[in-house]
Amino acid sequence: MAYDMLDLLTGGNRMPESIPAPLIIDTLKDTFREARQALAAEAQEPSRHQHLGWVLSVPDTHQKSVLAALDKEQALRVVTCATEDEATTAAAGLWMGGEPCVLMIQHAGLYASINTLRGVALDGRVPVFYMIGLLSREKDKAPRESRHSMVRYCEPLLDTFGVPHARLEGPNDVHLIPEYYRLAQKRRGPAAVLVGLETL
Amino acid sequence: MAMKPEDVLRAIAAARGEAICIPTMTTAPAWREIAPDDVSVTCVGFMGGASAMGLGLALARPDRRVVVFDGDGSLLMQLGSLATIAGAQPRNLTHLVFKNGVYHTSGSQEIPGGLQVDFVAMAKGAGYRQAYAVRELDDFRKRLPAMLTDPGPLLVELHTGLADKTPMTARGGLPFDRQVETLRTKLVKPR
Repeated sequence: MAYDMLDLLTGGNRMPESIPAPLIIDTLKDTFREARQALAAEAQEPSRHQHLGWVLSVPDTHQKSVLAALDKEQALRVVTCATEDEATTAAAGLWMGGEPCVLMIQHAGLYASINTLRGVALDGRVPVFYMIGLLSREKDKAPRESRHSMVRYCEPLLDTFGVPHARLEGPNDVHLIPEYYRLAQKRRGPAAVLVGLETL
Repeated sequence: MAMKPEDVLRAIAAARGEAICIPTMTTAPAWREIAPDDVSVTCVGFMGGASAMGLGLALARPDRRVVVFDGDGSLLMQLGSLATIAGAQPRNLTHLVFKNGVYHTSGSQEIPGGLQVDFVAMAKGAGYRQAYAVRELDDFRKRLPAMLTDPGPLLVELHTGLADKTPMTARGGLPFDRQVETLRTKLVKPR
């Protein structure tokens, strides 16, 4: 259930929780497995790769435990990019070539790469799927109420560009990862999940 | 004398085989005319993105050569992509930089550093397998087969003059989303 709905039902008493890295990685593997099956049904050209999918990362403090765990992971290949612009555009190249991928970045990187989101993901109708860490998000505040501008502006910015998004506020929300991945494919455009607290 | 970009592109069109080509900015209008049915996508509207798009395609399709037609001003906008590409080490990526020292599309203002900027040194420093400069068309023609087959990532700094047309003087071509769709269809081949 989305945070806002739970928030409504619990009178705002639901506190966000950190999500363990293995749970995120397993969910990504399931998401990419499903994506590969869908592509195999759709395409004549087989994938040239043994691994399940790609993680394009501009290292994010908020998701550092996931990135550390990915170092030992064979089923997901990580490409570290110098900027989020590159990560977004490389994601488009991977998608054109039939490969599933996720961008792991932080909110400041989203701000830095917004023209590429517009020019590549929106204008090009490329299903770029983002996992965006909300570094410095306060546990007791909705991001829009944060005292940090980098936290506060993230959701409004995604709204401005019409990018559907949801917040991962705890382990029970990881189902949003495949849901928003599928949503990006279905809408043929960007979609994002926001990582509410630093991963474990 | 600097090479004409159109002559360089004609030579590539004749030799490229099944390579996926990624023109950007001033190479885009000429490539549209020289290779109208090509497996290519044009990067305009997100200047600097051609190299990373080439990286994504090269990683996705290691069975195909990917050739990026970058510009010097464009590459400066995402110079970090040299390190990103070198880190990923795609053996099938050829990165051609059309070096004319100016932002031709926006009115030929000089790029920072002008013609002194050394992309060969930068690519080598970043970790490309090979990087060299080519100044003469005959030399380019001679070395082109190796550029399309040598293990990448490989950067070639091409000393060129100005193209006859720019995306501002020769608008047209498929909208970007249709180029993307067309290239994906050619690569993935939906049933």
